[in-house]
Amino acid sequence: MNDDFYIGYLEKAPSSLGRWTRRVVLALGVLVVGLAAMLAARQTPAEPGTFEFGIQRTFEGVLHESPLPMLQSVSSNGVTTHYLLVGAGKYGLPAFARGHDGQRVRFHGSLIQKGDNVMLELNDEKSFTPLGPAASDNAPGREVIGEISITGELVDTKCYFGVMRPATGKIHRACAVRCLSGGVPPGLLVRQGNDASVVILLAGLNGRPLSYEVEWAARRVRATGKLKSQGAHLVLEVARLSLVDDERD
Amino acid sequence: MSTTYRAIDWNRQKRRYDLTLVVLVALVFLSFMGVSLLRSTHITAETLLIRGSAVTALLLLHVILAIGPLARFDPRFLPLLYNRRHLGVTMFFLALVHSVFATVQFHALGDESPLVSVLTAYRQDYNVFASGGFQPAHFPFEPFGAAALVILFLMAATSHDFWLRNLGAGFWKALHLGVYAAYGLLLVHVAFGALQSERSPAYPLVLGLGFVVIAGLHLAAARKEARLDRAELGAEQDGFISVCRASEVREGRGRVVMARGQRVALFRQQARIFATSNVCRHQGGPVGEGQIVDGCITCPWHGWNYQPEDGCSPPPFQEVLETYNIRVIAGHVWLKATANPLGTRCAGSLVDDR
Repeated sequence: MNDDFYIGYLEKAPSSLGRWTRRVVLALGVLVVGLAAMLAARQTPAEPGTFEFGIQRTFEGVLHESPLPMLQSVSSNGVTTHYLLVGAGKYGLPAFARGHDGQRVRFHGSLIQKGDNVMLELNDEKSFTPLGPAASDNAPGREVIGEISITGELVDTKCYFGVMRPATGKIHRACAVRCLSGGVPPGLLVRQGNDASVVILLAGLNGRPLSYEVEWAARRVRATGKLKSQGAHLVLEVARLSLVDDERD
Repeated sequence: MSTTYRAIDWNRQKRRYDLTLVVLVALVFLSFMGVSLLRSTHITAETLLIRGSAVTALLLLHVILAIGPLARFDPRFLPLLYNRRHLGVTMFFLALVHSVFATVQFHALGDESPLVSVLTAYRQDYNVFASGGFQPAHFPFEPFGAAALVILFLMAATSHDFWLRNLGAGFWKALHLGVYAAYGLLLVHVAFGALQSERSPAYPLVLGLGFVVIAGLHLAAARKEARLDRAELGAEQDGFISVCRASEVREGRGRVVMARGQRVALFRQQARIFATSNVCRHQGGPVGEGQIVDGCITCPWHGWNYQPEDGCSPPPFQEVLETYNIRVIAGHVWLKATANPLGTRCAGSLVDDR
């Protein structure tokens, strides 16, 4: 047998072949580890966001179901916060929380937050307690900004506000479809340059549900309607929503 | 072929092979995770797992696909080929981790079964005849990955000599050639998926370069094989064809020759030249590129043994290669192009090198 003939079921390989194999494996190892590191370094960075998964806090306030489900809560120091409300998993406002529009409620939930946009996941049905009608001065607090027509990526707000990072683009598209299909409020992600972005919540006109195709998720759409602010949220009451054919916009 | 089966027949070399594999896979995975965390501090752990397992699996698949043709060019790559199935099974498990986490992350806890959602989440975009025509940016990429995973599973599940024997070498080989279909599906999966989200040119560049390397190696290896197959036939006499000079077959070594479109392995042992089929009964390895070890023809791929005089594996093994009648006349090897019935004993032909 020649020195370099390899038989794998023997205990030992020929020594010269062993040396050569070690060098090849080392070179291969450096190459693949280097490639993996380079690909990791070239990823588009995920945007910040918070999801207090597994952490439940008690929230109390006035529940507004329209145009989007929100909890209007006033803190002990008098600051009013509008929390967008969703259910656990890929669902919007759960059934147990519906039918309480304009009432004071209390429940345990988990905070989702991206910048000034705050959202609560209602994941504890037993803790949900209606506390009766709200005082008359607890109006939803919406201010009209104006009519606009704007283009952006259709996102599901639950993932985008912090549950998933990243939560945009083709890879996340199926998840966004599931979330939107489950009733999570849709948002329009509008970017300015590389770093600045804003999410406008999309709602139907006059309190009606928004009519749109959930499969437009992660694609560019143009929305036209009346822009309002509700706390830190921007809400667009959509008169017209359409897929943008030329996605370069 | 084994007469009894064990999950893995461990020896020192195999332990080293697998240890090296585990360390390399861990290093690739950890380097991806580490750099990702430095680069993208807000990325979630699930996303890291999904991406890390995908990148590691795809890099490993390229290594797996490169080993075969590299071993055709340089037999020193054969130690990497010997336990290649361990790489394949590892690659499948990495792909499985990627698939399970991606399915749970993106499809579970919603209003549709996750497995249905994988195939139908944005079903409108299957319609390539819709306005705008076929658009890779929107075409669903998940089904390509799912199809590749099914192929990889079938390969991993049958990646053992037990299945090779029970499925039959032909079917088993055809099934395992499915790795090329899986590779193609994964290229489309990545091209329609990650490449539509990532902005860096590094991603299409690495994927394209990987394809060029793999395709180039296979084409070059195929050209080398084709050259051998095109070798011109020598003179013919009484059904015997002159195939080479006897001096070209060295003691203890093999040589592959062509005879009427089939490859035949010549071996010289103790001044006699023997001829057998060149196709190993185990995985179709090139027997003629092997050597005589302890009196037996030994296949270079996995060390399968055959006796030169009758082509039979030594007892208790049962594999048999066809033998060919041979004559050495005036320093030339003459081969009868028709194989003998299995198990036919041939005394070989004495070589007079004086």
